[in-house]
Amino acid sequence: MEYHPQPTAGEARPWAFPAPERGALPNGLTVLRCHRPGQQIVAVEIFLDAPLDAEPEGLDGVATIMARALSEGTDKRSAEEFAAELERCGATLDAHADHPGLRVSLEVPVSRLAKALGLVAESLRAPAFAESEIERLVGNRLDEIPHEQANPARRAAKQLSKELFPATARMSRPRQGTEETVGRIDAAAVRAFYDAHVRPSTATAVVVGDLTGVDLDALLADTVGDWSGNAGQARPVPPITADDTGRVVIVDRPGAVQTQLLIGRIGADRHDSVWPAQVLGTYCLGGTLTSRLDRVLREEKGYTYGVRAFGQVLRSTAPGSSSGATGAAMLAISGSVDTESTGPALDDLWKVLRTLASEGLTDAERETAVQNLVGVAPLKYETAASVAGTLADQVEQHLPDDYQAELYARLAATGTVEATAAVVNAFPVDRLVTVLVGDAAQIAEPVRALGIGEVSVVSG
Amino acid sequence: MPMGHTATAQAGSGGLTATEHRLANGLRVVLSEDHLTPVAAVCLWYDVGSRHEVKGRTGLAHLFEHLMFQGSGQVKGNGHFELVQGAGGSLNGTTSFERTNYFETMPTHQLELALWLEADRMGSLLAALDEESMENQRDVVKNERRQRYDNVPYGTAFEKLTALAYPEGHPYHHTPIGSMADLDAATLEDAQAFFRTYYAPNNAVLSVVGDIDPEQTLAWIEKYFGSIPSHDGKQPPRDGSLPGIIGEQLREVVREEVPARALMAAYRLPQDGTRECDAADLALTVLGGGESSRLHNRLVRRDRTAVAAGFGLLRLAGAPSLGWLDVKTSGGVEVPQIESAVDEELARFAEEGPTPEEMERAQAQLEREWLDRLGTVAGRADELCRYAVLFGDPQLALTAVGRVLDVTADEVKAAARAHLRPDNRAVLVYEPVEAAEETDGADGTDAHEGADK
Repeated sequence: MEYHPQPTAGEARPWAFPAPERGALPNGLTVLRCHRPGQQIVAVEIFLDAPLDAEPEGLDGVATIMARALSEGTDKRSAEEFAAELERCGATLDAHADHPGLRVSLEVPVSRLAKALGLVAESLRAPAFAESEIERLVGNRLDEIPHEQANPARRAAKQLSKELFPATARMSRPRQGTEETVGRIDAAAVRAFYDAHVRPSTATAVVVGDLTGVDLDALLADTVGDWSGNAGQARPVPPITADDTGRVVIVDRPGAVQTQLLIGRIGADRHDSVWPAQVLGTYCLGGTLTSRLDRVLREEKGYTYGVRAFGQVLRSTAPGSSSGATGAAMLAISGSVDTESTGPALDDLWKVLRTLASEGLTDAERETAVQNLVGVAPLKYETAASVAGTLADQVEQHLPDDYQAELYARLAATGTVEATAAVVNAFPVDRLVTVLVGDAAQIAEPVRALGIGEVSVVSG
Repeated sequence: MPMGHTATAQAGSGGLTATEHRLANGLRVVLSEDHLTPVAAVCLWYDVGSRHEVKGRTGLAHLFEHLMFQGSGQVKGNGHFELVQGAGGSLNGTTSFERTNYFETMPTHQLELALWLEADRMGSLLAALDEESMENQRDVVKNERRQRYDNVPYGTAFEKLTALAYPEGHPYHHTPIGSMADLDAATLEDAQAFFRTYYAPNNAVLSVVGDIDPEQTLAWIEKYFGSIPSHDGKQPPRDGSLPGIIGEQLREVVREEVPARALMAAYRLPQDGTRECDAADLALTVLGGGESSRLHNRLVRRDRTAVAAGFGLLRLAGAPSLGWLDVKTSGGVEVPQIESAVDEELARFAEEGPTPEEMERAQAQLEREWLDRLGTVAGRADELCRYAVLFGDPQLALTAVGRVLDVTADEVKAAARAHLRPDNRAVLVYEPVEAAEETDGADGTDAHEGADK
């Protein structure tokens, strides 16, 4: 073939993260809307201020069961009828409970938005919470637990939370409850949680898609506008603390062919001015297969299909909140390596961290990371669902509506020195809790020899 | 649109158009303009997949796909990844039974770079391919196999089902990941021969979709790909044709450390690209798609004997498609109880066919899935390549949803009656064995935490 020199880039067309229009309905529901031409599948995200911290003592999982029960019948429709009507719209509806609160996500072709949003409104305004349906959901949830337990990545995540957070903190325990707590949940408990925490005045609906020809005001008034509730009371927000004393916990899986790694601690959330630098530095450490970790662990040594470093916000508080508590993100490195390579892979991983701390990032690395993180934005936000998801994340994290748009400017302005400092601070070699789900008989000794912290073994 | 409940007047083809071109070396090109967002998707399908592999070299097509990211004539090491990501693009490659695809989604102004990179490896991969890459990626792929299949409960179920449903020696008998032994056995010479056989412009389709100037794009494609010589090294794949139904019920019981009993089955279904395949898709959706399907209502809602129950469809163009039933049992429920309920539902469905409401729901679900797929430039580029490679006509991608909406309830019933029957399935039953360590439950009762959202 005839070789040609590598082409240079053309002129970039400007793109900005979309600015939503913010408003409120008479019932107090906050609404963010965003017109995205061409996106025929509309995404609706509804955030309910019903955090896991609000679950009553001993009833971990009640928020999850309530979230699932929202789509299991209303004052007008049985569970089967509700599911059938929703699918008749070609819609999908998901609801899940997490530390910041509960999220209901609807996706539907715009031509059937009115019908589907009517169903969602019905489920928020008048959920049936029938005893037999709650019993079924509880039974189903209990059946799911062993499946999650058997999954190495999920088992590792559960163990890390248990290790990091004090036993009294909700964050130390599984988001969706344990067999013991879920088993106690009944229809009355679900109803009580709903009555205490679900109301339009503390909820936000985000609507994104091609809204050409849609009278969204009328549509909202006819659907979620009907939902009513009292004002609700502010809850105290407990601070997030974690014990990141460097140590290793092996969750024993005799005979496992791989070891699942999850190495983490907590750090700054998006309200902290270090966030852009932390994002940039974390990307350079383990954002992709050409980042530092995979360059060695995957592309040089072949120990793994891929190892990633990431920061994921656990919960944020409004700036200047009365409790003075601040939010936090989980900062972690995860991946899996073949059993035999566990010791050598961790040894290399620590070497990568130490080298990063001693030598820092290069300007070229920082430049590539900025180009990627900023440059992929138009791709990443092509669909309505991705835009709605980020806008709803901003809402639940008490961030301004232009946060993401501003973040791109801040990333571009972050220098190599700041990014280095942030990532070294985020992943200090002696303050990392390492969870390994794997064959203890084979991996415990090589891992002890590394001196990355005291090693203990728990059963799988 | 005959059904009168389409999401938009022009659902699926909704104003989308595509043009087709062919270079002198045989490279087929499909272009589709869409200026809503300043991005462009490049997608390259090579007409080679695991069905082209020979005995003793399963997994080679996929291993080779990894090697395509290890540098080429003018691109060093991981340069392909570095350059695309450094340009604000995203990229990957995947391997299936019937094809290998490579794709980059770029900000518009970086489109030329992606074309240059794809052309460089199509024309000059062997200039960079060496033992070191081969050994490294062999280890990576073996770890991919462990992570995705071997170290996950039920992880090898699909592999076992295809091995049952497609007989020994059939090109679809093994899955793209291949066996550990064959991955170990593959040599650099195998990889070089694989490239020389299958990686040629006349064995590929390139689609570019998005915010593009078609004339300029075509000129770039001519410039970078035009001088790559075509060749006819490729042999046609082994014949994948099989009788329409299996003719007996095949069965395998797996005793493994899994969290619950499971009933899985693979049904032999009509080939992709036929109206019967769309009818079968609708039948599987009514029976086992979503939360209002017959199996979900029966097993999860009413009998409460299953944690989850559903059907999936693997569309195949070169062999019968595969309908995959997956039911995980609840608590102590035994498999025969599930199996007789499934048989009852399938028999009733074959007898009655879908109700008008069920047809409407199933078609609405499949329509949304199509709108989703065509709603991104990358999804559209992939579908255009799919229809060009497998069916010779990319335009079919833009009208696919219309064909699904055109199917009648009688056709769905006929598809179910012909195919969803006990003598046309391979059954896989999982019976858990207890691990000594898992008996106390003291530390074994919690659910997951989701650090990996």
